[in-house]
Amino acid sequence: MRRKHSIAQNLLFGISYVIICLFTLLPFLWMISVSFRNKADVFDPGKVFSSFTSINYETIMNEGIMNLFLNSAIIAVVSTLISLVLGTLAAYGFARYNWPKRESRAFWVLSQRFLPAMAVIIPYFMLAALFRLLDTHLLLIICYTSFNIPFTIWMMRGFIEDLPIELEEAASVDGCTRMQALKKIILPLILPGMVATAIFCIINAWNEFVFANFLTTIRAKTIPTSVMTYLSVSGVKWGEMAATGTLAVIPVLVFAISVQKHMIRGLTLGSVKG
Amino acid sequence: MQRNNLAINDYFKKRPHIKYIAPAMITLFVLSIVPTIFLVAVSFTNYHLGWDLSRAKFVAFDNYLRLFSGRDPDFWHAVYISLKFMTIATIIQMILGFSIAILLNEKEFKLKPLVVGILIIPLAMTPTIAGQMWKLMFNAEYGLINYILGGLFGMKIAWLSADMAFWSIMIVDIWQFTPFVALILYSGLRSMPDEPYESAMIDGAGKVRSFFFITVPMMRSLILLALLMRAVDSLKLFDTAFVLTQGGPGNATEFLSLHVYRMVNAQNGLIGRGAAVAMVLLVIVTVVSNILIRLQRKETSK
Repeated sequence: MRRKHSIAQNLLFGISYVIICLFTLLPFLWMISVSFRNKADVFDPGKVFSSFTSINYETIMNEGIMNLFLNSAIIAVVSTLISLVLGTLAAYGFARYNWPKRESRAFWVLSQRFLPAMAVIIPYFMLAALFRLLDTHLLLIICYTSFNIPFTIWMMRGFIEDLPIELEEAASVDGCTRMQALKKIILPLILPGMVATAIFCIINAWNEFVFANFLTTIRAKTIPTSVMTYLSVSGVKWGEMAATGTLAVIPVLVFAISVQKHMIRGLTLGSVKG
Repeated sequence: MQRNNLAINDYFKKRPHIKYIAPAMITLFVLSIVPTIFLVAVSFTNYHLGWDLSRAKFVAFDNYLRLFSGRDPDFWHAVYISLKFMTIATIIQMILGFSIAILLNEKEFKLKPLVVGILIIPLAMTPTIAGQMWKLMFNAEYGLINYILGGLFGMKIAWLSADMAFWSIMIVDIWQFTPFVALILYSGLRSMPDEPYESAMIDGAGKVRSFFFITVPMMRSLILLALLMRAVDSLKLFDTAFVLTQGGPGNATEFLSLHVYRMVNAQNGLIGRGAAVAMVLLVIVTVVSNILIRLQRKETSK
């Protein structure tokens, strides 16, 4: 139900959009702008485009920022793959079978997504120390799997419920077992959904800070913890930090654009079919 | 043996879902229940960072008594500002987010995909680095925001001072998550049918009335979902506050999760006492999320 708008109204719309977009973009544009500045110009907000330098990018490359990117990527991808296998299987159970406590179980899974990291960091730290797992990729993979599995279950349950159950019934007439039907018929159909889910899992792991900061020191450090190393005694290295942030946001944006179709579903843990 | 096998087979036959959900459920159970039990156990000891576990002594409810008897005033302050932050941040984000969603839904125009794309940016940026960028912009002397405010109105605000730091973190949280609410609610508005609005118009109901009597009731489930996710996430807020203020100045922005951090960090190392605070955080988050989840379930099953 859309009416025609007068010029004054259109103007009002335009102004509102400009304000919203400016406020939203401000830190992003500022980060990019700072990343191309000399140290001296960081504290001069007036010079938006004057001095252009790529020194910050060169510095972080030389200081081995790529190792952090590699760590982030390894941890995010492996944890996503584990979550995808376990989560999709469970999602199938939730989508296709009905048992008395099904919804309670599903919501228990959801509540795991809300576990505050700062509350469980103490036992994670102590247990990890006990098993000599501190500062390893494996530890962060385990941590990230704990919040990516609930997400995957809820996302994939939605995608599987979108498919008609007749598909499996037809397969069972043809002599397939349920597991075979899942593998041969359902899996190819939910593959796009799995890719979208995987991308959301990777983004979640990519930006996670609490576990990464308190459970790693050198070998398994990830991108979000790099900010701590830029807080040096001689002052904050804003330029390097901004350059790191700019590089870190590029893959996320590329990924986000590629799953735009499923964006709403991903943001709402699969409960809204966007 | 044979009989036992039959019994097990029978069990799985009656519950065919088990073999699908068991691997994930067991993993989740181990990854959440085991640490929680461990946390409870540690919270009853005086364990200190760097100690052997054998050195820890059982102190019963001492850590909790210290919190609740008022011997740790910072704790009550942390609870208070955490709940205050949750309430205000969630309300502002819901109202602003809903307004943006309505604005987006009001009119079709060519650049709309661009606006939606821009709204995704705060959700894509690494929160710690985004927080640091805000810190730079909030700088009283050299920051962009005071530069703009100074140019426009000739004013200067000490953003990260004891009085303002809470609200500065609020601004960052609003910047980060209002788009999230807006995108979710916009998708809900887009899928609304036209008929109820048409009949409301025939009945002479204005825009405001049809918003409160048609839009809000029909989107109640979605609104609750956005509310749930924002309330819980703002309650356990850590990363942006950590990089912006580390809980300071003083304890002005020491939210519960930052209070845990202050207890257990390398300087203090009070793991036992920190674990008790962490338990309180866990309980509050669980209570709030369960209330909201229950409300949402009721709404969805209607």
